[in-house]
Amino acid sequence: MDFDLSPQQQQRVDHMRAGAGKLPATEPDGIAGKDSWLAAAELGMTGLCLPTEHGGGGLGALDTALCLEAFCAGGADTGLAFGIAAHLLACGTVLADHAGEPVRAELLQGLASGTVVAANAMTEDDAGSDLSRLTTTAVADGDSYVLNGRKSFVSNAPLADVFITYAATAPSAGYLGMSAFAVPRTLPGLQVGSLLAKMGLNGCAAAQVEFTDCKVPGRYLLGPENQGNSVFQRSMTWERACLPAIYLGAMEGQLAQCVDHARSRKQFGRSIGNFQAISHRLATMKLRLETSRLLLYRACWYLDQGRPAVEAAALAKTAVAEAAVANALDAVQVFGARGCLAADGIGQQLQNAIPLNIFSGTTEMQREVVAKSMGL
Amino acid sequence: MATQTREDISSQLLTFIRESFLAGDPEGELDADTPLLELGILNSLNTAILVAHLGEDYGVHVPLIDVTATTFKSVRTLSELVHESLSRK
Ligand SMILES: Cc1cc2nc3c(=O)[nH]c(=O)nc-3n(C[C@H](O)[C@H](O)[C@H](O)COP(=O)(O)OP(=O)(O)OC[C@H]3O[C@@H](n4cnc5c(N)ncnc54)[C@H](O)[C@@H]3O)c2cc1C
Repeated sequence: MDFDLSPQQQQRVDHMRAGAGKLPATEPDGIAGKDSWLAAAELGMTGLCLPTEHGGGGLGALDTALCLEAFCAGGADTGLAFGIAAHLLACGTVLADHAGEPVRAELLQGLASGTVVAANAMTEDDAGSDLSRLTTTAVADGDSYVLNGRKSFVSNAPLADVFITYAATAPSAGYLGMSAFAVPRTLPGLQVGSLLAKMGLNGCAAAQVEFTDCKVPGRYLLGPENQGNSVFQRSMTWERACLPAIYLGAMEGQLAQCVDHARSRKQFGRSIGNFQAISHRLATMKLRLETSRLLLYRACWYLDQGRPAVEAAALAKTAVAEAAVANALDAVQVFGARGCLAADGIGQQLQNAIPLNIFSGTTEMQREVVAKSMGL
Repeated sequence: MATQTREDISSQLLTFIRESFLAGDPEGELDADTPLLELGILNSLNTAILVAHLGEDYGVHVPLIDVTATTFKSVRTLSELVHESLSRK
């Protein structure tokens, strides 16, 4: 077991970290636009784990996670990083593994270069944790499929050029009767709704997406018909293992902010970091960051080894999610009133952390996965 | 184990599904031909529980690729799957 990064990994991480600090400034908590995406693409962020033959970085899960972490540790907006991670992990991996040529080459090239933004559209009003009864349907019509239905929460939708979506092709087969599709935004019958106002991750715009008699050519079917569930589950394992790494980077920056503040802020004639109530709080924050980081690296390593990674990814996501919320609460407390004011962005970190307990499968569902894998 | 008939397996699976997923099925609605996937009785979570149960109670390990709309359609098709695997042992 070797806990050091290789020289090559270190170089990559340093590159991302330094580049993240030079991204174009956005409005605080404003939506990241195409310019931010293209600047991140320059760094290689939008293609990390995509195949090299289509302009991607060809990285495995662990190296992808290291880059996502470094991007946020270097100061990139968590919302932008979330959008890019979803584009890569919930969409790019699916296209790389399941799209047929020429769709695969066409889209992956665009995803890697950041000129094509991808969004994942699974969740519906009545299908959140339980995906057994999707109401979006896809009916074969010649060599096309006609899609109808509404997806209720699609991150990146306002900016996206292509949607990875799932629809029932054999409704009598429940969750085993769905298929995966790539749907270009330009197809008639696809409509992106208005911007959804959210509590956090504002750098990543979200909207609903509606399909009305949207005719999707058969070449955009991803994987075999009715295999959408396994396509989706595989992408979620990638997302659960790698995406929380953005929060590891954010937590690292947050902890450094807290340590600085604890050393410089004086009350009762000394730095507040001299009070054990504060210093132990910071020690606990570090403990949460380091333990959840190890679990995440391990889950990614399992994926890279081709070992079953579902449980490891569930453990990693849960650990990072709970660490991120607990640390964000502690950060507010350490900063006192400044933690409650918008200027330092401390409160916003909490609002960015909470959704990690919800998206890509809630924390409760991750505990279910862990419980099941113990035979309960 | 090897002497279990399809009917034995079927009635055991009915009991398991009733108790695990249907709060005991007080209305007695579940039978061997009830479409489990179509009605959402088998969703991803319940299917995982069922697959674990087949492994533990019957020693039948169903790989993900064999979890399909055909094999998991009803208690009848499931009993068939279990019976076949047991008779191959
Ligand atoms: C910031 C953000 C971004 C998102 N981006 C996307 C996206 O890009 N694409 C997309 O398709 N979706 C996206 N989603 C939606 C997300 O995937 C769903 O919100 C999530 O799967 C949970 O579904 P739900 O909100 O319907 O909650 P529900 O399933 O209604 O759950 C409500 C509560 O009940 C609990 N619960 C439900 N079932 C069980 C059970 N069996 N056991 C124990 N507890 C249970 C849940 O854990 C939760 O606490 C996003 C969500 C957020 C917050």
